Amino acid sequence: MTADPLDALRLPVVPVEPRPTFAADLLHRIQHAGSPARDSATVRYFVDDLDAAVDFYRQLGFDVELRPSPVFAMLYRGDLRLLLSIPSSHTLADGTVPGPGGWNRISLRVEHLDHIVGTLRAGGVRLRSSPSTGVGVRLALIEDPAGNLVELFEPLAAYHERTGGETP
Amino acid sequence: MYRQALPQVYGFLLSRCGSVVVAEDLTADTFMAAVDALERKTAPPLTVGWLIGVARHKLVDHWRRTEREQRSLAVATTAGAEVDDPWPTVLDVDAVHAVLARLSGPHRAALILRYFDGLSVAEVADYVGRSVHATETLLARARGALRRLYREEYGDDG
Repeated sequence: MTADPLDALRLPVVPVEPRPTFAADLLHRIQHAGSPARDSATVRYFVDDLDAAVDFYRQLGFDVELRPSPVFAMLYRGDLRLLLSIPSSHTLADGTVPGPGGWNRISLRVEHLDHIVGTLRAGGVRLRSSPSTGVGVRLALIEDPAGNLVELFEPLAAYHERTGGETP
Repeated sequence: MYRQALPQVYGFLLSRCGSVVVAEDLTADTFMAAVDALERKTAPPLTVGWLIGVARHKLVDHWRRTEREQRSLAVATTAGAEVDDPWPTVLDVDAVHAVLARLSGPHRAALILRYFDGLSVAEVADYVGRSVHATETLLARARGALRRLYREEYGDDG
């Protein structure tokens, strides 16, 4: 077989150092990409019984990412990262111990709200507010075993939130 | 790993696309794709060879996009193969590079993968997403187009 003149074009890979600023920028991007926290939001709740709390949040669709010690667990539901801590592990310098409860809450989107609330209630979950219809959503307030509030909502016709395409 | 692989990937891309801007973009795409792959835990062991393979895919994608944007500018390439039009024995490699830049995206991609990288026809077919048979046709047409432009620009000297 005769040699192909185009074989003369063979071009081995010759390393070329890119501009240092480019190399540094790309390294920075690599180091900050990978981490799963890219667009996730994190909320911490205090609970006095970690086992009971983990079981409760599993019912709501969370899965356990980490449970490295008896005083802490890390859960995920979609992009929401939920940290559960035993209060004594966060005692302040002046002795103040944080406590569960209050009215601030995470809000979780669900389908078939009434059905889910019925099931949870039958399983012994405390309800602070039965399902009711608001503007754009139907929602209910339930409590985790430590008394932290969780809002469950189901979108109605007028519902709105920012969609992926609108994010800058 | 990054320090060692970066000049290889960048050098590979720069020598094939001839543009610092494009080479930087594609280098970044290549490394970010590698990061994604590593996260999925299904990636093969990270080697320079594997990164070059990813870079080659990025390059083919780039030529495909360029082709869509510049279709009207591309040289007419429907001519047949080079059957009766032998090449000069000695090529002016720089001249070929200049002429390559004027070919359409698929033709440039096929020729560079086949001759710069020394891939087999079957390997070229995988990268450009065509059958082996279609790739043979593509290569023959690309060679024909290259041949014609090369003759127009530089004559033959033999």
